[in-house]
Amino acid sequence: MTALDLPRRWRLPGWGTCLVIAIAAELIYFTLTTRQFAGHGTGMLDLTEQFAPTGVLALGLAMVILTGNIDLSCGANASLAAVIAGTVLAKGGGPVLAIVAAVAVSTLSGLFNGLIVAFAGIDSLLVTLATQFILTSIATSVAGASPPFGFPSAFTLIGQGSVNDMPIALLVLLVISLMVIVAVGYTGLGRSLTLIGYSPRAALYSGIAIRGSLTAVFTLCGAMSGVAGVLLAAYYNSAQPQIGTDLLLPAITAVILGGMDIFGGRGRIAEVVLAVFLLGFLSQGMLIEGDSSLSITMITGLVLIGALVIKFAFERNFRQQMRARMHRLRALSWDAHG
Amino acid sequence: MPPRWALLLRRREILVTAAIMIIVAASTAAHSYFWASGNLAFIFADSVVIIFLALGESFVMIGRGIDLSVGAVMGLSAIIVGFRIQNHGMTLLPAVLLGAAVGIALGFGNALLVGVVRLPPIIATLGTLSVYSGLEFVVTNGNQVDTIPSSITDLGSHTVLPGIPVILLLTLPFVLISAWLLRYTAFGRSIYAVGDDAEAAYRAGIGVQRVVFLTYVISGLFAGLGGVAFLIYTSGASSTTGINDNLTAIAAAIIGGTALTGGVGGAFGALVGSVFLTVTLTAMSFAHVSDVWQPAGVGVLVLLAVVYDSRSRASQARRTPRRRRRRGV
Repeated sequence: MTALDLPRRWRLPGWGTCLVIAIAAELIYFTLTTRQFAGHGTGMLDLTEQFAPTGVLALGLAMVILTGNIDLSCGANASLAAVIAGTVLAKGGGPVLAIVAAVAVSTLSGLFNGLIVAFAGIDSLLVTLATQFILTSIATSVAGASPPFGFPSAFTLIGQGSVNDMPIALLVLLVISLMVIVAVGYTGLGRSLTLIGYSPRAALYSGIAIRGSLTAVFTLCGAMSGVAGVLLAAYYNSAQPQIGTDLLLPAITAVILGGMDIFGGRGRIAEVVLAVFLLGFLSQGMLIEGDSSLSITMITGLVLIGALVIKFAFERNFRQQMRARMHRLRALSWDAHG
Repeated sequence: MPPRWALLLRRREILVTAAIMIIVAASTAAHSYFWASGNLAFIFADSVVIIFLALGESFVMIGRGIDLSVGAVMGLSAIIVGFRIQNHGMTLLPAVLLGAAVGIALGFGNALLVGVVRLPPIIATLGTLSVYSGLEFVVTNGNQVDTIPSSITDLGSHTVLPGIPVILLLTLPFVLISAWLLRYTAFGRSIYAVGDDAEAAYRAGIGVQRVVFLTYVISGLFAGLGGVAFLIYTSGASSTTGINDNLTAIAAAIIGGTALTGGVGGAFGALVGSVFLTVTLTAMSFAHVSDVWQPAGVGVLVLLAVVYDSRSRASQARRTPRRRRRRGV
């Protein structure tokens, strides 16, 4: 027997571990360089209010992307929800009515997307591209020339208030994250979503209700866009018709940076949540340092590309190593028998 | 066998052209000013930028990719060229060359990520979209381009024939060259082959990676030229130029018959798709529909085009079951 002297290569640890390390590094960096960032310990928590809506949006989107589809309309859908909540409040409705109306409308638009994608069999990229345009128009039209602003404090509390230093928006984000993690990881619906994304044909042959699941996932994404819209309106205390549309790209970026496969079937919701915090703290930290929001966009793009290039390179490397190992095994067994 | 005219109707370019004529006729019947040469020239000049973007997008989409960054490339080219013209008195020809160079350089970034690193196109171009639109802001540094000499902007407002602006005539050669490239050259045919079935194209000896690489460079090139066209037409540019044009370009290409699933489409489709979009939006404002509803108009048109597409393809599949089904689901 000769000892096999295999070259040892450094392998990427789990993607979640990488994200946690990156978040820790980032928090330490900003705490050291920028005094306002940590702000007596609770400053960091307050920052989460800013990106909680993006996070909620990203979680809804993550479920859709898990099935191999995409929802480009979720940002516009959030705008619509914000505008509707604002209009109801401006017309004298209570906060509860406003929230219910906003989420209901968004859920319905999500259902509309889902029905078309599932039953007309049209690529979701095209369907949601079209509904994105349509929802933008509806939101702009409902908002009118002077979009509503200045809401009662019972409503803005959702976006700005806190319980024992814990921002309510962050609580909403965490609760929804938990719900999505459980729904995707531990329920039948979650498993069928993953399988649909992994192989639609296999899902079909194993008797999964593909159409029902797709409709459900788009409807859920619509509902989450609604929640994101309500959070936005409450945080900014106004309802501009562009308010949610700008969150589409950050949300998709968070989902992809969270290791979700854009072709579906692979990815963990928990890692998406980590990516949301990573990107959120990054942009907030840079804002406090005095960078403009557009150069932050650029940095976000670079981070996305860089992270994916690394991830893809290591995964391919890993696959090649496995293949090489298989070859060696086969050669060994050949020797043994020959 | 259906009659000849019915076969013609199955060609998307002709169908969309017919639709354009119907809309123009109906709008002219309602408001006679619609047919006025000034309005027609406005419509054509208005669609030139989208024509450029949709042309580049068509190359990528036929090869089964997608380029989300064309609007940002267009904006960046408009800003860089615009500052050269404004502050250094650059003339038209060098401006066009510079725009093309900027476009190619930025397209190269996309091409590297998709063709060499092999990131999924939607992710790669989403990333470069962020980077390029951030760069727009960095390059402008808070300034904007607002004084373009009239010797250049005249191209956008002057007409050669009544209703035909000079800028449209400058655009048509690019459409013709693209059509020739796509239809009659080995490179063009291999784009279709790659988009239809990359595996089959690879086994047929086509350098799939090289073809994909080049489609993104071409897309960047046309977006760069579109930036110069934007300067000529609007005589200005700012840090947000083109940010909302990415999806419009894709919509125009889709309306013109280019399929997101690759292997189908053409240069003339991009041309008529873009003109159709502009004509419809102008007709909408003539019919006193508020500007607010213009995006919804685009959305409905995309939905109609897509639904029509899947219908016609389903009926074709019924007619020629064997050949069509090979593409697999």
